[in-house]
Amino acid sequence: MRTSNLAALGLTLVVFLALSAAAMAGGNAENGKKIVQARNLGNCAACHVVPGMEFPGDVGPDLAKSMEGYAAKDRDTVWQWVWDARKFDPDTIMPPFGPNKLLTKEQVDDVVEYLYSIKKK
Amino acid sequence: MSRLGRVLVMLVCAFGALTAGAWRYALAADEAAPQIKEYKPNISAREYEKRYNAVYGKYTEQMAEEGNPADFMLDDGKDLFSKVEGSAGKSCASCHGANGEKLKGAAAGFPKYDPATKGINTVALQINRCREDHMGAAPLKYESYDQLALDLYVKSLSNGVPIKVSIDGPARPFYEAGKAYYYKRHGQFNFSCALCHVKYSGHMMRANLLSNNRHHADHWPSYRLKWAGTGSLQRRFRGCNKNVRQKPLPFECETYRDLQLYLTYQANGLPIQVPGFKM
Ligand code: HEC
Ligand code: HEC
Ligand code: HEC
Repeated sequence: MRTSNLAALGLTLVVFLALSAAAMAGGNAENGKKIVQARNLGNCAACHVVPGMEFPGDVGPDLAKSMEGYAAKDRDTVWQWVWDARKFDPDTIMPPFGPNKLLTKEQVDDVVEYLYSIKKK
Repeated sequence: MSRLGRVLVMLVCAFGALTAGAWRYALAADEAAPQIKEYKPNISAREYEKRYNAVYGKYTEQMAEEGNPADFMLDDGKDLFSKVEGSAGKSCASCHGANGEKLKGAAAGFPKYDPATKGINTVALQINRCREDHMGAAPLKYESYDQLALDLYVKSLSNGVPIKVSIDGPARPFYEAGKAYYYKRHGQFNFSCALCHVKYSGHMMRANLLSNNRHHADHWPSYRLKWAGTGSLQRRFRGCNKNVRQKPLPFECETYRDLQLYLTYQANGLPIQVPGFKM
């Protein structure tokens, strides 16, 4: 009885972890693109070259080029850059999109998915 | 305690006292030192000049061909200068000369510390003080047409004169306050003025070339295409405040006057050139 309970608990835990990992990985790239482009949301092209966007800024690096440096396993690092770039450069000009409530966690998931989709192969 | 032991204890105590002293000294020095590390632009002056001309060149050419619309305001300012107003029956010209001779070069020293203001005095504040104290006339509303016109005329009397503002003595704390505001992070984007106008000056933010603050205070009031009108440097402060989702402040408030001193000091040595012409 006891052991089966524990096993069940263990199983749910495993399933839960697997699910949340999937959620972390699974943003929606189409949505991400819209967020990146919208001036009242990501507005990333104000500072970055983003494929297909007119009048990009050159304050930050070309994002498609930047993404060449990130493998699939670096997803968390890319996520952190978008969520709060101060983790990597305390004096960055890039707005802290997460902590300052410019984007939600789900929106950042979508943006990261989009960033991987523009990565030059 | 052995002799060696006592010597050791003494040594440790002396060392302790020394480091404590040094520590306290370091702390005091830290308090005295300016706390803000100013940026250097990350684009060379030459490259900046090139980019600036590429973006703004055609507008200056346009102005050279068609004239600056703010020149009409300048003419009106000249007329206002000799208009009698107020209970004393005087005009500006009564005290400062028919063509403002006595004010030639005066604007190059503004803003400046002034005991009566208990802070930083600007040309705009001074004009209103003259109206109230010396003419018995009502102060002009900041950014109103007449106020800008007089301000523009008084500054034009110093056209070509190198800016020379002082930040010594009593002006210093106000200068530091202006700098602190310029470097402080504000608003939801967590931007500071200095990030855009020093560190990344010469870069493009969207379709805008971020200008370097060395040239921010030498040409206002300016005609601005976007305004389809003429406005002051402080109107520009308010514009940038709003652009970065930060609360704009009232004209001629203490913070804006301190900020104006900070920016004008960056322009020291450059000739005054009003009215300016901007996109
Ligand atoms: C105000 C300018 C600005 C905005 C807006 C901005 N960034 Fe950045 N970003 C930068 C700068 C500058 C860097 C370079 C790193 C630093 O700041 O030190 C950077 C770095 C990055 C990096 C790391 C690049 C690398 O080479 O490792 C990523 C990823 C990134 N930005 C994504 C985004 C996304 C996505 C958005 C929109 C949601 C965005 N940025 C909006 C300025 C900006
Ligand atoms: C009755 C004489 C008088 C009149 C009229 C007058 N002023 Fe003044 N002005 C002064 C005096 C005195 C000062 C010295 C500072 C002070 O007492 O406020 C001064 C200072 C100034 C200064 C600063 C000069 C410097 O070198 O620092 C400016 C600029 C100025 N006045 C502009 C004007 C304008 C514009 C008008 C008209 C709206 C005007 N004044 C009307 C007497 C006058
Ligand atoms: C996100 C970037 C950004 C920030 C932050 C910013 N500005 Fe600006 N500012 C601009 C842009 C873009 C322009 C228009 C193009 C130019 O002249 O740089 C501008 C123009 C100006 C001008 C007019 C320059 C001239 O002489 O034509 C002044 C003055 C100015 N800003 C002051 C400030 C002050 C003060 C702050 C801080 C309260 C500030 N800015 C914050 C982007 C910014």
